[in-house]
Amino acid sequence: MTARAPSIRIDPASRVPAVRQIADSLRVLLVEGELEPGASLPSVRRLAIELGVHFNTVAEAYRQLAAEGWLDSKRGRGAVVVERPIPPANHSRIEDFRGRLRTLVAQMRSEGMSTGRIAAELRAMAEGMTR
Amino acid sequence: MMQLVLCAVYLFTGALLLALPNLTRRGILFAVRVPENFRDGREGRRAIGEYRGIVGAVLLAGVTALLLSPPATIGIAAAVIPLVQLVAAGTAFYRQHKRLRRFSVRDAGPRQVEVTSAPERLPWYAWLGAGPFAILLAAALFLNANWERIPERFPVHWGATGQPDRWAERSVRGVYGPLIFGAELAAFFVVMALAAWYGSRRSRSRITMLGFTIAIQYMLGVLFAMIALQPLFQIPVWVIVIAPMGFLVPALLIAARKMSEPGQAADPTPEDCWKAGIIYYNPDDAVLFVERREGLGYTFNFANPASWALVGLLAAVILSGFFILA
Repeated sequence: MTARAPSIRIDPASRVPAVRQIADSLRVLLVEGELEPGASLPSVRRLAIELGVHFNTVAEAYRQLAAEGWLDSKRGRGAVVVERPIPPANHSRIEDFRGRLRTLVAQMRSEGMSTGRIAAELRAMAEGMTR
Repeated sequence: MMQLVLCAVYLFTGALLLALPNLTRRGILFAVRVPENFRDGREGRRAIGEYRGIVGAVLLAGVTALLLSPPATIGIAAAVIPLVQLVAAGTAFYRQHKRLRRFSVRDAGPRQVEVTSAPERLPWYAWLGAGPFAILLAAALFLNANWERIPERFPVHWGATGQPDRWAERSVRGVYGPLIFGAELAAFFVVMALAAWYGSRRSRSRITMLGFTIAIQYMLGVLFAMIALQPLFQIPVWVIVIAPMGFLVPALLIAARKMSEPGQAADPTPEDCWKAGIIYYNPDDAVLFVERREGLGYTFNFANPASWALVGLLAAVILSGFFILA
């Protein structure tokens, strides 16, 4: 039996631009280790056809991930996942993360989720992201 | 006899038009994306009933007119009646399309795709697409071997009354012309099948349509081989006219059954990019072929420049046919 390939999901009705949805979804797979170094990504053309978006949208998402050091995206060779050294945490990015997390935690608390459950979910998620 | 043959062809196209609302996925009705069970509800049944009422009435009137036409006017009737049928069905379809748009499901939902770089391999049976060329080649070899038996002058076209109205001479173009044109058409369908395979989204219907395209190729191969062999075997014209239905009916039935299988999501094309439900134009979609909404099969994304190249290729094939078969 062959293992099922990891999948990404975008919502055309979302206000979030498609390019960001694609880059975010792929980044989750990369951080979780579902796409390992050496793995080839689909061609820009094939992924654009499957997602129903323009070629440039997928190409831009690949460029963003290549700029972050996740992909080696050379013309004619397709995009390949590369080994990426973990960069030192940036203070302003941590502040930004904390702000966004505070909003999300407050929202879930107001919807009745217990603090213990929130902490457990966050821990499980952080530990599941191997890279 | 020819009147009966014309009636049979007319009834066949009429049956296809009557079945049109069923030749789509359950989530599509009159080229509008609707909830899966919509067609079983009051509005859905009413739309199908109204459409079929008009198409059925025109079909009945057409058959009566064809059967009652005197021999002198049968040619005109054979040209005008199918035209009226198509215009009436097209108008009735568009009327229901416009009416159902207020029930359309505008949001196709999120799209989930596998991140895989696995190559796009054609199914093994794609090689069957070479069969029609073998049929045409075999017919050419047979004609070459029996060249002396071919009459100096033979009919190549018959009028609506069944009487020949155009002849060809025993020349390379006259004898092999139908085979060359048949090969051109079959080659065009190979190009279309490959373009549809590599230029559409992965789905089960893509596999079904590849099989359907190969079936059409065989139909063309057999049809043009029969036309080419006609001078030797005097195959009755009605056989040549009716034979394509022998391919189309089972192929359509199989394709319709496969398309309506549960659990198959419709192509997630935005509603606003469909013009009158039949023309898809979406510059933000990289796809070349999308599932049709008004019936079985695929249609172009006309915003993709490759679609115009294929339309141009089809025009070139048809134009060459005028030259080859003239």
